[in-house]
Order: sequence, then structure tokens, then C-alpha cells
Amino acid sequence: MSVLEIEEKSLEEAIRVACERLKLPRELLEIEIISKGSSGIFGIVGAKKAKIRVRPKVPSFEHAAERAKEVLSYILEYVNLPTVVEAEARDDHVYLNIVSNGSGLLIGKKGQTLTALQYLVSRIISKELGRNIPVVVDAENYRARREKSLQDLARQLSAKVKRLKKPIATGPMNAQDRRIIHLALKDEPAVKTKSKGEGNMRRVVIYPVRAGGGSSRNNSRNSNR
Amino acid sequence: MKELKKLVEVIARALAEHPDKVDVREIEGQNTCVIELRAAKEDLGKIIGREGRNAHAIRTILNAAATKLRKRAVLEIIE
Repeated sequence: MSVLEIEEKSLEEAIRVACERLKLPRELLEIEIISKGSSGIFGIVGAKKAKIRVRPKVPSFEHAAERAKEVLSYILEYVNLPTVVEAEARDDHVYLNIVSNGSGLLIGKKGQTLTALQYLVSRIISKELGRNIPVVVDAENYRARREKSLQDLARQLSAKVKRLKKPIATGPMNAQDRRIIHLALKDEPAVKTKSKGEGNMRRVVIYPVRAGGGSSRNNSRNSNR
Repeated sequence: MKELKKLVEVIARALAEHPDKVDVREIEGQNTCVIELRAAKEDLGKIIGREGRNAHAIRTILNAAATKLRKRAVLEIIE
């Protein structure tokens, strides 16, 4: 979190500079006065500068949601599509929903455009508020639909693994998608899941668990993550 | 094509510490539009991001916007 020390002629001036530098309204700053400053005699002799220490107040998610909505709307203004952004502060993240009639374009292949917007908005407001703010950008319920189709995929693959008694890998996936697969098969005793590969090529491998098979069973307990 | 230029400019300015030093130009071709981005030296890293993640995200959004205009767009970040 960024802390600033500012020295100016007067207290008001220092606070104004602080707001400007941190791009935040006064209410969202935590201001600590180090010296009040005085103009001295006739403003010449013994003039002392005012000094303050400021840091952004821990912002509420409501405020973050509001800012995130503004940032996203501002970016979308230049995508040449009429859009409306809805914002909602949820327990641990800010949820933004884009309403438009050209959402396919904004979602992109496998949601990559949504993910790009989400990443940038999160970076921009985290920088602004001096704290990491997780943001989820959605359009037409894409995230929920994606989660459902990944769960279906997980179930299909696990059925195949059980039938063939051989491990099967999914395609390359990002962390959120892999998490959905792991969670979907968490309560399936007949298979276990593991992530394999590096960086962008990381994927989930689903292994069969042999009932009563000594060693493989122990493994499944220890290396489930 | 004003939008594409502005789009990159808006995002880059939001990421930079010195937004006033962000300079975006566009070179328009028949089908392709090249967007050139210049910024303060210490801001280039901020705009590109760790492992180029910011730059990658900007390009993804730029491509979506360009598709709408039936164009191709290329983002060049110039040192």
C-alpha cells in the first residue's frame, strides 16, 4: 500500500496535493498531520511548511465495485458496441456483468476477451486503490455456463476413465478452469485428479483408483492436490 | 479507426504512472491498422506487465474491437 509524505505551504494545500496524487477524494484518505505549518510573521520570518502523511483508506468493496464499473464502462466505450455494465460487490470479489447485444464478441474464444478485460480492470483498480481487488467480468451468464459445461466434461471424462481404467488428460486449462474440474470430481471415490504440465500447458489428468489395490490407493490419499 | 487508438490509449494511461507521457499513434493500412505505443521508460514495464500479461490482454481486447470494425489490428510497443 502506498504511503505518501507531502510538504506544502498550508494544510489545505497539502491535502489537495495528496488527493491529486493518489487520485482519490478526501474521504478515502487516511491523513496524519505531522506539522501544521505556520506562515510566520508577515509570511516571511519563521514560515514553516505543513507536513502530512497520507495513505489510502482500506476501500470498501462497494467503492471498488463502483470504480471497477466506471473503468470497465470507460474501456468499453471505445469498443464500438453499446453496452451497459452492472456492478455488484460480492463477499470476496467484485462482480461485473456486461449487458449488450454483441456479447459473443466480448466473450471471445473460450472467454478470452472476458478474461482479458477482467485481468486489466483488476490491475487498474488494484493499482488505484493500493490493494489487490479480485474482479470477475461476466456477460450473458457466461461464467456460470462455462462452469456447468466444465462440470459435464469432468463427469464424462471420469466415466471414461472408470470404463477404460486408464488415466485421461483434459486439454490445457487455466487455473480457474482446472479448479472447477478438481472440485467436480472431489467426491468421486473411483478417480483422482492431478494437475500436470507447466504454465499455459497445464492440464488436469484424471486417474482411476483401483478398489482395494494397495499402493495406488495410498497414493490417491496423499497426492490428491 | 479513432476508437482503436483511443482504446489502447485509455488502457495504457490507466496502467502508467505518467499518463501524460503515453503517446499512441496509428498507421492505417487497407485491412490492417498498426497501433504504436510509446511511454515513459519506467512505465513500459507497467504497461507490458509480468511476462507480457498486460500487453497480451490489451492485444486480445484490441482484436475484439477490431473485429467489430472488420479490421485487423497490431499493437507495437516501442521502446
